[in-house]
Amino acid sequence: MTVGLPHVLTLAALLFGIGLYGALSRKNAVHVMMSLELMANAVNLNLVGFSRFVTPEAMTGQFFAVFSMVVSAAEIGLGLALVIAIYRRKRSVELDAVQELKG
Amino acid sequence: MSMDWVVLIPLLPALAFTVLAPLSRAARARLVPVAVAAVLGSLGLSIAAFLAVWPGGHDAVWQGSFTIAHIGDRAIPLGLALEPMSAIMLLVVTVVGACVQVYSLGYMHREDRIGWYYAVLSLFTAAMLALVLSDNFLGLFMAWEVMGLCSYLLIGFWHEQEAPRLASIKAFLTTKVGDLGFMLALAVVYAEVGAFDFATVLHHDWAAGTATLVALLMLFGAMGKSAQFPLHVWLPDAMAGPTPASALIHAATMVAAGVFLVVRAFPIFEVSGIALTITLWVGLLTALLAGLLATVQHDIKKVLAYSTISQLGFMFIALGAGGSTAALYHLVTHAYFKSLLFLGAGVIIHAAHTQDMREMGGLAKKLPVTSLAFASGSLALAGIVPFSGFWSKDEILTVLLHEHQYAAFAIALLAAFITAFYVARLWFRVFTAPTQQKELHEGHRSMLAPMVALAVITAVIGFFGPTLGDFLGHEIPWPALGTAAISTVAALGGIALGWYVYGRRTSVVNTQAIKQRFPHAYGVLANKYYFDLTYGYFVVGGYTALTRALATFDARVVDGVVNGAAAAWRSLSAAGWTFDGRVVDGAVNGAASAVKAAGDKVRTLQTGSVRGYQTLVAGAVVLLVIWILVKGA
Repeated sequence: MTVGLPHVLTLAALLFGIGLYGALSRKNAVHVMMSLELMANAVNLNLVGFSRFVTPEAMTGQFFAVFSMVVSAAEIGLGLALVIAIYRRKRSVELDAVQELKG
Repeated sequence: MSMDWVVLIPLLPALAFTVLAPLSRAARARLVPVAVAAVLGSLGLSIAAFLAVWPGGHDAVWQGSFTIAHIGDRAIPLGLALEPMSAIMLLVVTVVGACVQVYSLGYMHREDRIGWYYAVLSLFTAAMLALVLSDNFLGLFMAWEVMGLCSYLLIGFWHEQEAPRLASIKAFLTTKVGDLGFMLALAVVYAEVGAFDFATVLHHDWAAGTATLVALLMLFGAMGKSAQFPLHVWLPDAMAGPTPASALIHAATMVAAGVFLVVRAFPIFEVSGIALTITLWVGLLTALLAGLLATVQHDIKKVLAYSTISQLGFMFIALGAGGSTAALYHLVTHAYFKSLLFLGAGVIIHAAHTQDMREMGGLAKKLPVTSLAFASGSLALAGIVPFSGFWSKDEILTVLLHEHQYAAFAIALLAAFITAFYVARLWFRVFTAPTQQKELHEGHRSMLAPMVALAVITAVIGFFGPTLGDFLGHEIPWPALGTAAISTVAALGGIALGWYVYGRRTSVVNTQAIKQRFPHAYGVLANKYYFDLTYGYFVVGGYTALTRALATFDARVVDGVVNGAAAAWRSLSAAGWTFDGRVVDGAVNGAASAVKAAGDKVRTLQTGSVRGYQTLVAGAVVLLVIWILVKGA
């Protein structure tokens, strides 16, 4: 059996679903960020898959995936820094612990 | 060399007024030296002008004019001209003006409003200088009116008190009655000649009737300004002003302006014989009656005031007899000796703290300089050789004899006799009678120096009479021995009588006794011939009623209109205020509170819960996807 576009898309959809579930159900900020990473990688997988099977001669999708990964790495660095800062103030990484921006 | 600097002579004091007038009271008081410097500058320029005119003659040395207005196709020029007569008058005005201003530094130094006093004095000096320099009747009239204003302001200088205030109004209105005559004369002149300048007007070919009309109207104006009967009533009251101002305005210069006007317009008077005769009799009446009034006054300044009226009468006598040069001569000598007497009276009043001669006495020992200077002025006024009044009075008597006016000569001689009598009365009462006060002190240097200068001038100026005549292009001869003898006898007789009544060591003057011996005569004199009562009854009453009616009109109608307008404006602005509060502020505040209410609603979206936001985003994405699926199909 050869791997085709449907397999890739299915895997990406599964990954996105798992990520979405994790992001909505977890209280721990680190867990939520891991879930967000899963969702971002599902998107990256879509990009690579479409690039390979729909426009194999153009490398646009793959470049975009690499670009997206770099941005995600920066984003997760920033996010973890925020989590550490919050932990220092609150001694907790629970999302419900931060409510200061309530209007 | 251009002589345009002559303009500066009246301009310097005018500038001093312009500098002083708009300032505060304190700043004016500090800048008093500006006024003194201005008049001293004018004095210097006047001497230069005199030297430039020397040796005199008839012609103008310098002339300048500019057009102030065009009426239709006619231009109205105003000009100044420097000729011998104006050069003489410039010297008189600036010498007396400078003396008075220096003297006032001492006399007025305790006054708060000394700056205002100097400002008005400067304006007056400027106007008088412009008057004597003017080469036309219109400019002369304008300066004449400015002087009237200054006279009013200075008489009413102490306007907190009632007497000066009333005196200033009386002086202003009485002279204004005369000014009306002058103004009508100007109208007739312009209708007849079509110009105002002396050269054109005086060389006009006058018909006798028109000339009489113009001359009489001008004479009426001159009578108001020079305080001749029956318009003399303002001058004695004008003594309520500061004494140095009286010396300048009400003795030396402004009151002489009437005489000066007649001298200027003399050719017109000569055309009309009647006008000359009337001038002569106005002068005679004034000289005699005012002299008599001076004999019963107790206020030293009022004696001098009536004396001034009487001496101005002498000038009118000279004019009426055809001797305009003699009149001008007497004007010059009188300006010096009478301002000297007034300045002396100022020192006496300062020393004695009263103006009542009955409370003075023995001042000769305590005030040596003043008494010597005063003696010079008194002898000049009495007409004793060699003091200046002797020469000019003799000149007037000579003219009368020359014109065969024997009745007039007799009356003038009688007036001279009375003059000598009241001078002696004043002198013996003030200077030699028993001392009644302990603390008497001589005036300050700044007050004595001008008096000494004037006293010296008074003592020596008589010897320059013929020179003055040559300078004016006329003849002033040395007095003939006969005339001089007669007038000297009259003067000595007057002084002797004065000594007999007031001067003897044993004499105790009992006014009550005199009053009882001559009840009618004394009553008439004490009531000043009932002039004030008559005017009060016939003229002032109506005038006061008119002013009351106008005041009522002012209060009811004018104030009503003004206050009504104010009330209307008030209610309008109240309505505007309400509109502003309700509508404009309402709109602005309403917009603000609407935004606030919306904000209160919207802020509840901001829960601060991260997981809430996540749910929101996820839900939105789901809805978006569903929408795309439905729409995309």
